[in-house]
Amino acid sequence: MELTKRVHQLRTQSLQAVEHITAERAILITEFYQSPASRNLSPPVKRARAFEYLLRHKHICINEGELIVGERGPAPKATPTYPEINLHSLQDLEVLDSREKVSFKVEGSVKQAYQQQIIPFWQGRDNRSRIMAAMPPEWHAAYRAGIFTEFQEQRAPGHTVLGQKLFHTGFLQLKEEIRQSMEQLKEHSDPNAPSKLEELKAMDICCDAIIHYAVRHAETLEQLAKKEKSITRKRELQAMSAICRRVPAHAPRTFHEMLQHYWFIHLGVITELNPWDSFNPGRLDQHLFPLYQHQIDEGSLTEEKAFELLCCFWVKFNNHPAPPKIGVTAQESSTYTDFCLINLGGVKDDGSDGVNAVSYLLLDVIREMRLLQPSSMVQISRENPDRFIHKALDIIRTGFGQPSCFNTDAIVQELVSQGKDITDARRGGASGCVEAGAFGTEAYWLTGYFNLPKILELTLYDGKDPRTGEQVGLPAEPAAAFSTFDALMEAFTRQLRYFADIKIRGNNLIEQIFAQQLPAPFLSLLIEDCIRNGKDYNAGGARYNTSYIQGVGMGSITDMLAAISFHIYEKGTFTWAELLAALDANFEGFESLQYELLYCSPKYGNDDEKADRHAIRVFDLFHDAVAGNPNSRGGVHRINLLPTTSHVYFGSVTGATPDGRGAGKPLSEGISPVQGADRQGPTAVVLSAAKLGHLRTGGTLLNQKFSPLFFEEEGSYEKLTALIRAYFSLNGHHIQFNVVDADTLRDAQKHPELHQGLIVRVAGYSDYFNDIGTALQEEIIQRTEQGGMG
Amino acid sequence: MKGLIFDIKRYAIHDGPGIRLTVFFKGCPLSCWWCHNPESRSPRPERLIKTVRIGEKEFQREETVGRQYSVSEVMELVERERIFMEQSGGGVTFSGGEPLMQAPFLLALLQACQEQGIHTAVDTSGIASRAAFRRIIPYTDLFLFDLKHLNDQKHRLYTGASNRLILENFRMIADSGVDIWARVPVIPGYNDEEEQLERLHRFLRENRRDNIRQLNLLPYHPIDAKYGRCGIEWKMGQLEPPSRERMATLQQFFADTGIKALIGG
Repeated sequence: MELTKRVHQLRTQSLQAVEHITAERAILITEFYQSPASRNLSPPVKRARAFEYLLRHKHICINEGELIVGERGPAPKATPTYPEINLHSLQDLEVLDSREKVSFKVEGSVKQAYQQQIIPFWQGRDNRSRIMAAMPPEWHAAYRAGIFTEFQEQRAPGHTVLGQKLFHTGFLQLKEEIRQSMEQLKEHSDPNAPSKLEELKAMDICCDAIIHYAVRHAETLEQLAKKEKSITRKRELQAMSAICRRVPAHAPRTFHEMLQHYWFIHLGVITELNPWDSFNPGRLDQHLFPLYQHQIDEGSLTEEKAFELLCCFWVKFNNHPAPPKIGVTAQESSTYTDFCLINLGGVKDDGSDGVNAVSYLLLDVIREMRLLQPSSMVQISRENPDRFIHKALDIIRTGFGQPSCFNTDAIVQELVSQGKDITDARRGGASGCVEAGAFGTEAYWLTGYFNLPKILELTLYDGKDPRTGEQVGLPAEPAAAFSTFDALMEAFTRQLRYFADIKIRGNNLIEQIFAQQLPAPFLSLLIEDCIRNGKDYNAGGARYNTSYIQGVGMGSITDMLAAISFHIYEKGTFTWAELLAALDANFEGFESLQYELLYCSPKYGNDDEKADRHAIRVFDLFHDAVAGNPNSRGGVHRINLLPTTSHVYFGSVTGATPDGRGAGKPLSEGISPVQGADRQGPTAVVLSAAKLGHLRTGGTLLNQKFSPLFFEEEGSYEKLTALIRAYFSLNGHHIQFNVVDADTLRDAQKHPELHQGLIVRVAGYSDYFNDIGTALQEEIIQRTEQGGMG
Repeated sequence: MKGLIFDIKRYAIHDGPGIRLTVFFKGCPLSCWWCHNPESRSPRPERLIKTVRIGEKEFQREETVGRQYSVSEVMELVERERIFMEQSGGGVTFSGGEPLMQAPFLLALLQACQEQGIHTAVDTSGIASRAAFRRIIPYTDLFLFDLKHLNDQKHRLYTGASNRLILENFRMIADSGVDIWARVPVIPGYNDEEEQLERLHRFLRENRRDNIRQLNLLPYHPIDAKYGRCGIEWKMGQLEPPSRERMATLQQFFADTGIKALIGG
């Protein structure tokens, strides 16, 4: 199917729009917090009134020709700030404006508003200041050293996905549910009734606010219709106006209504706060299919029209870059992508094949739109046909990094083994980069990346950070005294547990801060069972509440341990003293030793027990240090293994390592092998990766690079499908293929202007090659080109 | 039983159907000028000096090519890759060198695979006794059989041996009913002249059987660097690989032999 003229124009507008900061939201929220109306309100009601104020006063933006309406800012890519979460300084605004990558234009008027109104009010009152003040010194020491990052430092938690219920429920219905929940409270004597009533009142305000926001769109559309000269467009505008009067107040009845319904919800979530992973329609093909089928049968919708509507919907996501990030947060997640990962395929409630006509239609949309946002993935179950995978490969082979491939059967097992209901698990999927969750019922918060290789480095240096000399970790025996390999592992385990505990304690404090200070009553309407529990999403109101710590550098630490074990304890190639001297010198003058480490050591990713057993051990240690520890929302902590761009940041703070890696160089990403260390091809990589306990995680990330030539050969789809199916039958969680040759990437580095549209797979998401830093560019070039087609 | 192997490649996707494990035997009776695996010629382990670099610094490292493997060692690797073979309809390919130069070892491996229900392919130059072929036929599911030149004189010149035995063995296997993929390297100016192509065409037509499943036209690639490392003279000079158009023309040319002609594979 081809893009219509309208879609072409909208797509071009989106691509050409420049990311810029709008002060609109910051000014409105400041106005509200300064107004008398904001005083003497409970935290949830205050947030609800703030939400209402924002939606009442923000500019209504309708772009020419569009069929799905609503923008977070006053124009496409006009990106708001959230001073109550993170107050940007004037210097931050300068950095955002001038930095080379992921920059945002900042007009003088924005700086002026910040200087005169926003900074004076929020100085010292934003949540970031609150969090930093609440963290103990050992947390700060670890954070500074780059042991871990903190996700909630500049953004609200979020990390969730819309479930089936809200696609079939209007907000008037939710108001009724709120009323019933209030009734229940009156009937039973609940000691928490007063705070629950406040929460429910806040939710109710939010229902009215979002309905009214849609009505404002309806009114603007009517005015536009009156002025419109073209009869066709006039009719469209009138129809759109009617839709905005219908949804989200009522449940959608048509394909078009459902898309608009979701989009208002999406806008509500990302206007209320700046939650991670923005928001996500989740299993879009499952939600749309019944209406699609009905309307096609009835003759009120054609495949072409549905395609066009979906394209218009796609543009909306691309118009919304991730809110601006600075400092460590910018380094760990350096991208405009806001991680809305749309799921296709998978299984239905009864476990049978969920692939339907809309799944294929959406694949067409992804292929033809070729936009950075939204991200997309295919859920692949044993139940799904090969044809579905082949259709996905048609897009993957073009080197666009989408869709990525996920194992439905593993995700369902992961969720069920965490104690979730089987239907909730089957309605789930993966969001963000690779995170498994029960859509519509779970708050699964990522809390920060965790630098496993850095902890081993500290272990070797007596708990001191060799980069700064600071005593960050526990004082331990000097490395020279590690009489056995097990003694080293014991020392490492002590440090690992020490830092995991610091992180977990910090998480629990931060969760409480959000629960008390920054409830999200609008988001709470969307995730079950917040209404029934009378409890905010940020306070544990969801049916399932999980906190994740994301391990980084699994390949790197495995190769570090394998080299130490092999050379020092097994072969006696060199001594501890020699190794440490080489690391201190960043291998200068020790090149022959570095060669041994790089080329004559067992490496993870080659299905070699000598290396892989260390991966299994580190995985178990990390898992046991984190998993099961309670969070403050009634759930527990769990692990997953993904990096976004933190492997570059973590590498930059880590010195030379015993795997032969030079100081400051990126670590391995996800559970992929160290860049270039996999020399046995993808089957060996997959077998190494499958040895980890995927089902005990909430997601792992495996990237594989393929040469485009591979796809030209007869039978290549079948062979790749077999590789995916085999990995998934071994419980592998996710695999993604980056299809681009190294020459193209090198050329893009030299002539970025000639490769403006070049999108590559980074780690769990795709990005413009030109927008990622040089270190990451180099790292991607280095990742092994698999398939022997070079 | 042990055999000399110089490499085992996992995720081999050009040596038969599906995802395969390819076992490269060391030792070959031929010495084709364009051979891709010059390190496979000698039937003994060899020490090579390799120059490696770390940053600006260069080192000489010694490497041994070829090592003795037992049947069970090879079968352990086969077992590891089995899941991919099953998913893709793949199997094991014995290549080389010339696997039939170590016929008893090859036979033992083929028998072990058959016992495990694993699809087997033998990638052969065709140079081996008829008796050796007869012994392995019952345990082989597919032959990848090279036809390098139909003109015996030129065959002798470029490969160091006559093609007579090769062509006889080809016919015998064709008659046995075991699947064959005929593989023809396309070496511009060496084996792609009109007369040779006509003869090859005729040979394929005359020997056409249903079990000759396909004809793979393999475009020449220059790999002179590898020859330098092995201390073997590279006789091909600056020869350019055949163009895509040329390969397509050849594919067209063989289309009417009744055997499916493919480029590469």
